[in-house]
Amino acid sequence: MAAALGVAVAGIPREHAALPLIARYALEIAIPRWKLTEPVNEIVYGTRGFDTFGETFLLLAAVVSVIVITRSREPRQGYFGESAAGAREQEQDDPAVGADATAQRARSAERLEQRDQASKGEGLVETPDAVPLGTPAPERAEAMTVVVRTAIRVALPILAVAGLYLVVWGYSPGGGFPGGAVMLGVLLLVYAAFGRRKISRVIRPDLLETLELAGAALIIMAEILGLVFKGSFGANWLPLAPELTPLSGGVAQLFSVSELIEVATGLTIAVFALLGMSHDWARDEGSDSADRGEEQGR
Amino acid sequence: MILVNYLAAVALFGTGLYVLLTRRNLIKIVMGLSLMEASTYLFLVSLAYRAGSTAPVLLSPPAGKTAKQLAHGNVADPVLQNFCLTAVVIGVAVTAVFLSVVVRVAQHYRTLDADRVRAMRG
Repeated sequence: MAAALGVAVAGIPREHAALPLIARYALEIAIPRWKLTEPVNEIVYGTRGFDTFGETFLLLAAVVSVIVITRSREPRQGYFGESAAGAREQEQDDPAVGADATAQRARSAERLEQRDQASKGEGLVETPDAVPLGTPAPERAEAMTVVVRTAIRVALPILAVAGLYLVVWGYSPGGGFPGGAVMLGVLLLVYAAFGRRKISRVIRPDLLETLELAGAALIIMAEILGLVFKGSFGANWLPLAPELTPLSGGVAQLFSVSELIEVATGLTIAVFALLGMSHDWARDEGSDSADRGEEQGR
Repeated sequence: MILVNYLAAVALFGTGLYVLLTRRNLIKIVMGLSLMEASTYLFLVSLAYRAGSTAPVLLSPPAGKTAKQLAHGNVADPVLQNFCLTAVVIGVAVTAVFLSVVVRVAQHYRTLDADRVRAMRG
């Protein structure tokens, strides 16, 4: 084992080795064939586009599994509010689980936050600036303090524009993957600073899942049309603009933009599905009553 | 000197594997897997490095060189950078799946200890 590893390490290309053939090829055709001055983008969306194509659907498969695993049996509209939806089942099943005083307070704060109409009275405050200093935890305010909110208000447009810039200027380093990650960062910052209600109109499972699949469909279309028009999967079938313009990559840019949609929505779905995950209170159907008995005995 | 990077990647991978094998906390196991992923990123980017090379960008080549010369000469390997980009996205997606499974396990068994998750024990 160690010997095999040693041989493998000795065979690794060092810093003076010549570039492999595929890298040279990609560097040479980047400008003439794709009018892209950025070989990494050219490889991601052009030369090795099929690889990226497969990766996209691996990402999609992972997102679908996260959705399947996190989705509860209770009906729900958004990523949050699952425990409110399961309140009746919890009452029947296990009304007093883990209910010491701190847990009770935390849970009531959470319940308040999850009820959309409960903003008036009932102890839920908009921002912590209204809460006197020294009030014991849990934090009951929905948003963060004025310092955080202002900082994020300043940073957000810059971040959002930077993310889109990474995608649009496809002839310089960037592309759909980093752009999508930046978009997730923008949404998470809004969520952190202003609370769930401010993003609940955008962060909806139906909207995000539709967008995600639309992105995937766009990618399939971009690649298949190469097969239709040019006779090879992933070939460029769009007119190429001159280099150093946003449209210079042809299909590579279309691919990159669809990848932005795909990655941004996919990561957002995964993150918010995980954040909004809570206990599934509805009983399993059928077989596992023995399992449940064991669980309650513990 | 790039050998140091390779050895660091091996060390990272080994640390991840060690965590994976010795910890019982499911969150720590996922962290160990993330460490192993990170070692592959380091390894791929180190593989792409060439001594005295520039970034594989043909946009504004260093003084005295044209884009065409760059393509033939000394740049970092863009294909391996592409692999790393792919690996990062896959790593994020897989970690998300792992974490959601861990949350469900924690809810079902009320524990994060892999030893007390008994359903799989013969």
